[in-house]
Formats: sequence, C-alpha cells, structure tokens
Amino acid sequence: MKVSFPYMGTTVIYKKLLELLGHEVIEPPEPTQRTIDLGVKYSPEFACFPLKVVLGSYIEALEIGAETLVTSGGHGPCRAGFYGETHKKILENMGYDVDIIVFDGYKRDIMGTIKKVLRVKNGKPWRTVWKAIKTVYAMAKALDGIEKRIGQMRAYEIHRGDCTKAWQKIKKSFDDVKTIEDVERIEKESHILLDEIALRDVPDSDRLRIGIVGEIYVVMEQSINLRIEETLGSLGAEVERSQYISEWIDFNLKPGASAKEHELYILKKGEKYIQEIIGGHAKQTVGHIVDYAERGFDGVVHLMPFACLPELVSQSIIPTISKDYNIPVITLPIDEQTGAANVLTRLEAFMDLIRNNKKTKTA
Amino acid sequence: MKIGIPRALLYYYYYPLWKTFFETLGCEVIISGKTTIDLLDKGIKASVSDICVPIKILNGHVLELLESDVDYIFLPRMMSIRKGEFFCPKFMGLPDMVRHSLPGAKDKILFPNISSLSDDISDDKLYYDMGQRLGVTDKNIKESLKEGRKVWNEFRRFSKEDYTALEAMDYVLEGKLPEKQVEDINITIGLMGYVYDVYDDLVSMGIVDRLRKMGVKVITFEMMDEVMLDRELDSMKKRLFWTFSNKLLAAGYKFLKDESIDGIIHVTAFGCGPDSLIGKLMEIDSEKLGKPFMTIRVDEHTGENHLQTRIEAFVDMIYRKKSKYIKEA
Ligand code: SF4
Ligand code: SF4
Repeated sequence: MKVSFPYMGTTVIYKKLLELLGHEVIEPPEPTQRTIDLGVKYSPEFACFPLKVVLGSYIEALEIGAETLVTSGGHGPCRAGFYGETHKKILENMGYDVDIIVFDGYKRDIMGTIKKVLRVKNGKPWRTVWKAIKTVYAMAKALDGIEKRIGQMRAYEIHRGDCTKAWQKIKKSFDDVKTIEDVERIEKESHILLDEIALRDVPDSDRLRIGIVGEIYVVMEQSINLRIEETLGSLGAEVERSQYISEWIDFNLKPGASAKEHELYILKKGEKYIQEIIGGHAKQTVGHIVDYAERGFDGVVHLMPFACLPELVSQSIIPTISKDYNIPVITLPIDEQTGAANVLTRLEAFMDLIRNNKKTKTA
Repeated sequence: MKIGIPRALLYYYYYPLWKTFFETLGCEVIISGKTTIDLLDKGIKASVSDICVPIKILNGHVLELLESDVDYIFLPRMMSIRKGEFFCPKFMGLPDMVRHSLPGAKDKILFPNISSLSDDISDDKLYYDMGQRLGVTDKNIKESLKEGRKVWNEFRRFSKEDYTALEAMDYVLEGKLPEKQVEDINITIGLMGYVYDVYDDLVSMGIVDRLRKMGVKVITFEMMDEVMLDRELDSMKKRLFWTFSNKLLAAGYKFLKDESIDGIIHVTAFGCGPDSLIGKLMEIDSEKLGKPFMTIRVDEHTGENHLQTRIEAFVDMIYRKKSKYIKEA
C-alpha cells in the first residue's frame, strides 16, 4: 500500500511516522501554483481555501502513485469530518480509485479510530507503534523549538536567507531519524548550526515582535501563506505563530489534562469575545490576539483562508479587540488570487505603522 | 418590555415558538420589516465583505431593530439540535459577532445557548439564564415555553402537509388558511434551500409562488419528516457537521431517489460555504442518476428577470422531458 498524506507545515513528521510503521511513503510535493490551480479547478467554488489546496495536493500525490491517503481532521474541526468524504467523492468522480483514512478526535468514534489505527499500524507489534509515536512526537517538539528560534533570529540575520537555508538543512537531517536518540542528537546539532549564523545586535527597545494568528492550515503552511514568516523577518520583525504542530498534537491527540493546558489558557483569553468554540480556530484566534497584546507584542497578523466560516466571525470582531487592547492587527485573506506583491505592500505599510507606534510610545 | 426579533435566519423556523413564548411572558414582540434593498445595503456596510449574504441581511435587520425602541433583541446562540452535529459556525458565533461589531448592540442582545437533542428547542433549562436577566421566574419561563411549544408543534405539523413555512406561520399565528393551490399540477420540484433563503423575498424573490404559478408542486425540506430525513443520511459514511446543511442534503438525496420528484432546484445565497459542498455532491449524484438539477445562486445584483428566465427554462425542460416520456411509453 503506497501511502501519502496532505501537505501541511513540517511534513517530515507525518512521513516519519508512516515510515517507521513500515509503509511505503509517497511524499506529496510542496504545494505550488499548479497544486492550487488543480485544487481550485475541481473544488466547489465556495469551499474554504484549505479544502481546495489539500485536494490539489492529493491529486499530485495520486499522480505520482499514492494509493491510500492518510489525514487527520485537524485542518479545522468545523469541516474536518466532511473533508475526507467530499475529497473522496470528487476524486472518484475524476476517476481515481483511492482510499482516504481520516483520523478525527478519537473520543468521537473510538471503535472507528481503533480500526483505522489497525490499518495504519500495518501489522507491526504495538511496541513498535508506541516507539514510533514517541519518536515522532519528540521530533515534532524538537522541530517546533528550532522553528520558533528561527522565527526570532531571522529579523537580525546579516546575510539575508541564512536562517531559511539552515532550516531547510535541518529539516532534511531529521529525515534520517530512526530513534529518540537520533532526535536528541540532531536537535543539538541543529542548534549549533543556528549558533553560527551571524546576527546584528539590536537593543531590546528596538525589537519588533509580531504574532501570527488564524486558521491552522494557512498559519502553518508557508507555501500557501506567501512565506509570511520569512517576509516579516526580512522586514525586521520577530515572529511567533499561534500554532505549532506539537501543540496541536498536545491538544487534540495526547491524552491527559496537562497537555491541554496551554490551549485552554488561550481559549480562556478568547472567552470575552467568542464565548463558545464555534469550529475551526476562531476562538483561539481571538484568544491569541489578547495574549499577544498582554505579552507586549507590537502587532498581529491575522491569516484567514478565503471562505473560512469561523474566521469570518473572528474577522468581524477583530477591530473591536484591536481597539480595546490598542494593538494593530492586519487581516490577510488567503486564496489563489492573493498576490505576493500586494501582500508585501500591505505588510510594509503595517510595519511602518508599528514602528511609528513604537516611537511615539517610547518617546 | 419590548423584545425585538430579526426577520432573518431561523425566524422562518422558530418564530411561532419564540413569539408565543415572549408574549405569554408578557412581553411585546417587535419584528423587523421585510428585507429591502435599503436594509441589505445597511447590512452590507456593517459586515465584513466576504461573509455570506444571509448574515449581511441579518445584520441589516438587527440594525433596524437597534434604531427602534426595543429593550432587547433576541438572538439565540444556535449550537446544536442533534447529537454530534452543530450549526454552521456563523450561527454559533452570531451573538459574539453582533455584540462586538454592531455599534450599540453589546448590551441589548439576549442570547441563550441553544443546545438540544432535537428540533424542538423548547426545553426550559435553556432559557432560565435569560429569564433571570429579564427578571422573570423559572416557573414563568416554563409555562410560557409550554404555550410556545404547542404552537410550534402545530406549525410543524401544518408545514408537513406541504404548506410553506410562511403559510404555516400565518395559519398558526393568525388563523389564516392558505389559498387553495391550483388543481392541475403536472410536475413536482424538490426545492433545496435554507428557510432564510427560500422565504426571504429579496433572496429568492418568491420562488415558491413563481413555481406554483407555472403549475408546479413544490416540496421543501421542512415539509418532510425530520426522522425520515435523518435516516436518509445514514447511507453516508460521514455527515456534514452542520445540521441544516444536513437537512438540505438529506432532502436532496430523497429527491434524487423519489420517482415522483421531476427535478431539483437548489437556491443558495452568495458566499455560503456549506451550500457549495452540497451543490457539488448533488451535481455529481444527479448526473449519475439522470435527474434534472439546477443551482440558483443569488447575490446583491441578481435581477428578477434572470431568476424568472432560469426557472422557466428549467420547468420547460422538465415538461418536454416528461411529455416525450409519456409519448414513448
Ligand atoms: S476552519 Fe476554516 S479553513 Fe479550516 S476547515 Fe473550517 S472553514 Fe475550512
Ligand atoms: S449555512 Fe451558509 S448561508 Fe447559512 S450562515 Fe452558514 S455560510 Fe451563511
């Protein structure tokens, strides 16, 4: 069975998990304009943008031989359950014979989840499965730590592109992971690699910090969000995202209460503006904005996929939050027509605004 | 006390319940007027640009009520009316959105959390908190809901006799009996659409009446039995997450299979994500089964002529198909 998965964020993690379980993994290509075009072409017009891109990504994986697609519902709980079915129907209608295994929150459908696990488990003993999961989880944690560090460093690199290059290299080296010990070793090496990057010295008072919030797919997937982190870095801002994969695992998959603490804390912060979880990450979005404001960030970029139902609710409320907390927020809708040049112009203007704010504040 | 209820969204499904409930409580109920171009314009200005038309319309209605002298506006948070299913996120976040984006709305909105196991949402516990805010006792709430439930059940019963939600409302609230339908019915069309699309004059421009005038019998999802619709969806591995979208899809699947239905029209307002998925599924399946299917998507600019022409063409096509079939038989 040739297995593939949708492309999102640090895909090396999914790949590793399936590999450690002995599957033949077809790695989907990183989304390009072609992926997006394919997805848009075969998806319903008002489907949210991630649904379209994921469809495009599936088509490309099928083109290079994938037979089974494994996915988690995590692209946005509001539509997650139905994502798989819709994709399957569309793909079948296009003539692809394909199996899609969707993992949702296991609590909703315990038996179903067990059955799916057994299929993905691939006849391996449970010990192997457990080891694989532990290894991959450690890897997710390590990669997230590294990525966060890079998000801060990029603003100050002397040679433009050093950080991004290092990041590519690091992701590749994680490809060789087989055991937890490997993870630890490569993590150390990676940090050493980062230590070597030449940085400008910037006094604390001049540092600009921007938080990125929004729907998980567009926040995590750099090829879709016009490499927003790199762009902001090159404009001189440190960035922190509202979502990292290991946090997602903590909240959605890992049993036990302590793993969920951070997310619950953020949800609490959002309560004032969105009381209930309304699907997707809308409540987290408003919670993170409040959190960034309280932590003294200088601005927030809100990314929302075109036609994302819950984010339209948060978008409606954001002007009020921005006023209440006196923090600039810019909303960028992302779809196939979003042009890099246009986004750059808007971000430049946003950065000017933030710099001015900072000057008047400190003056 | 004056309670405003916007003539939008689930007004078309729950108004008989809510009106009776508030009036029995001793409140005066004010509903906003019919959707007009002017009202829609105001709604558009107050909304984020990419949001669906029905929400823009809702915003227009709320603004109208805010300008009047109502004490409160009733805008429940519709979470769930079925285990494991939810409302479209925009419904779930509606009170938040309105309170934090429409000026002057913040302290005026009454928004009980509606989470129930069936379409009947008259469980008193859901409304106790609101009762406290209004200064009425739990007992009051309970008794008023009992009245509301009676009227609402009657409304639903009447709907299922093939009357539109508007006719059923007129009947249970005003005692007005609907006009007799034309006798020589030749074809039957299944009409898929949310109540707030099908019955909003501005959105669907009286599509039901237009079809009836052409000698067409119209069936909508709310004329069908909830339990039957529910069973219809069991054939799907996964349901949609959103209850009313599920109802539409279930009705659609039923229409596809039902021999007595000659064609299906899906009315959708611009910008609806769930409808877009439903439309795609119907498109694929109707083609497989060879049943005529048409989508009418309405936005701010759709003209009446356009709508009329399209439904005429669709109905004509079905007539031709039918008479050919009869000749050949
Ligand atoms: S959260 Fe938004 S983008 Fe994600 S699945 Fe839901 S509608 Fe789509
Ligand atoms: S179901 Fe569609 S039309 Fe209704 S609120 Fe949601 S997006 Fe809007």
